[in-house]
Amino acid sequence: MSSFGYLFIKEAKQFFGNPFMPVVLVLLPVLLMLLVPLAANMEVRDVSLSIVDLDRSSLSARLSDRISRSGYFVLKSVEDTYGKAMDQLSRGNVDIILEIPAGTERAVSRGESVEIFIAANAVNSTKGMMGGGYLSSIVSDFSSEMAASGGNPASVPLRITPQYRFNPHLEYKLFMVPALMIVVIILVGGFFPTMSIVTEKENGTIEQMNVSPVRKRDFILSKVIFYGILGVFAFTLSYLIAHFVYGLAPHGGLLEIYVSAMIFLVFMGGFGLIISNYSDTLLQSVFLMLFFVLIFMLMSGIFTPVSSMETWSQYFTYILPTRYFVNILRSVCLKGSTFADLAFDYIMLSVFAVVINIIAVVTYRKQN
Amino acid sequence: MSETDSIVICGLKKSYRKDLPPAVDLQEEVRIRKGELFGIIGPDGAGKTTLFRLLATLVLPDGGSATLEGLDIVRDYRKIRTLLGYMPGKFSLYSDLSVRENLEFFASAFGQDIERNYALIENIYGRLKPFENRKAGKLSGGMKQKLALCCSLIHSPAVLFLDEPTTGVDPSSRRELWENLAELKESGMTIVVSTAYMDEANRCDRVAMMKSGRFLTVDSPSDIISGFGKRLFAARSDEMFRLLQDLRAVPDVDKCYTFGDTHHFTLRDCSHADAAVLASQLASCSGHRNVEVKEIRASLEDCYMNLEEK
Repeated sequence: MSSFGYLFIKEAKQFFGNPFMPVVLVLLPVLLMLLVPLAANMEVRDVSLSIVDLDRSSLSARLSDRISRSGYFVLKSVEDTYGKAMDQLSRGNVDIILEIPAGTERAVSRGESVEIFIAANAVNSTKGMMGGGYLSSIVSDFSSEMAASGGNPASVPLRITPQYRFNPHLEYKLFMVPALMIVVIILVGGFFPTMSIVTEKENGTIEQMNVSPVRKRDFILSKVIFYGILGVFAFTLSYLIAHFVYGLAPHGGLLEIYVSAMIFLVFMGGFGLIISNYSDTLLQSVFLMLFFVLIFMLMSGIFTPVSSMETWSQYFTYILPTRYFVNILRSVCLKGSTFADLAFDYIMLSVFAVVINIIAVVTYRKQN
Repeated sequence: MSETDSIVICGLKKSYRKDLPPAVDLQEEVRIRKGELFGIIGPDGAGKTTLFRLLATLVLPDGGSATLEGLDIVRDYRKIRTLLGYMPGKFSLYSDLSVRENLEFFASAFGQDIERNYALIENIYGRLKPFENRKAGKLSGGMKQKLALCCSLIHSPAVLFLDEPTTGVDPSSRRELWENLAELKESGMTIVVSTAYMDEANRCDRVAMMKSGRFLTVDSPSDIISGFGKRLFAARSDEMFRLLQDLRAVPDVDKCYTFGDTHHFTLRDCSHADAAVLASQLASCSGHRNVEVKEIRASLEDCYMNLEEK
């Protein structure tokens, strides 16, 4: 058997002989994919609403009905003064107030425009902003329908219609799930081989390997490839969950997704090797790894969009390979993009994988 | 080099950091014959492990050179690794693999299978057989040591390095190990072993006493003992601790140290005192009771203690 062969078998025996690791390998993607998107949901539903109806007309009743049927709002109270509603808001019982001024119906029937007032509690900024957005879009829908049915098209007020493409309901889940798939790859493809190499350093087994005719190249490759395969397995598991539980990737090409995952795994393998070259203990390597992984995850648009970052940090994201990988995953899953559309991202990701592995080999050689 | 030399060291130097004295700084030429059982004794930090690591091609020397079986430790490291067995002081097998899996793995790492050299390890491995499927990490200290020895022998090396193989091992396992080494030596294997136990050093063909990276003396144990040039005494009384301090205060006494249940001391070269005089002096001046002083023959440990602080 080639030396790579039995090293690979040894790696597998060690991994599957451990009662803990195979469980982690399966539980990690499953729990991460099932729990986190449900818990960390940025979607806005069930916004508590208070309507201050000063008009008390059939029109205001229709508008109220329309809003409560939208599914986004729960009509908590109908107050007769703004002050009372504001009281509710400051107590936290209500998130948003909609005030329909007196004489609205009359003004509308005369073809005049009316100002409807919305006040949102922005302590939870997402909820306030998104809730306010929903509400104003419902109101403007309503007003344009009315104008149309009233046979007075000239009075249709000018309005903006945002159309959320590829994720029409602005579901945060669809934004989140590809990000979690990346986290799974980082953890399995990056942490596992690093920890395995450093453990051999700590236990002194790497010395036993070094005094044997086994080549360092085979030794390292056996680990990177073994954990790479585990990474593909974990990625597949999370992809299946993404597909069957969240209905992700109705458009995506599997090939596009897997090619990018493979390139990223090669990157993570090389990256983990560099970390293990510079650390002598498990603790050291885990902290180093965690430091970089946090930067990878928090600064490359995995959880928050790059476009909402500071300008300097937007440039910074260009040196983070996760930026390209997350872009590929999202584009393929949500838009159905192809290799040609994402050529730049694939090229950049490959460049990172090659460069990091060259650095890994060079720093590895420098030891001793 | 001659045909009968297995290891030839022509000065060897290694510093880990510039501001520290070198860990190994051998200046003379040392030749270890084929089939020799060569012991290295020295205090912690003497450079024994570094010397092993240099010879095992794990670290590069800063100066000097050495050959193993005619192969240069720097240039021919790849060839050396096929004919060298190295058992480090720290247990370094895969504790999450079973006994059998470890042995199989190390055999295949050398491109061998267990059967081919089984005869070599049969005696040692026989004791491990009942635990074949146990994880190596769950073995007792002595068993771990046996397994480590098996793993470093499984490719039938020409040269075997053992770095403190008996540290932390019970006396009966220690004895077994030395019997095993004696058998291996019969098969013509060159064995270099470091130890902190003087009784073990006595079993070696030759012993190097090492201190601060240097070999202070290289000779057979009997020659080292006969070369002990001082008069040596053993003393005891009812108050052993005070006796040690009082002995050190006697002007004639050169070095004094505890040795088992007695104190050993040497006299200064100019002194002509004898055991009876010293005994009565201790009894009368310091008030010791039941004083016993007698002149004794030096053991290897006495040589070691007197060499150490030269």
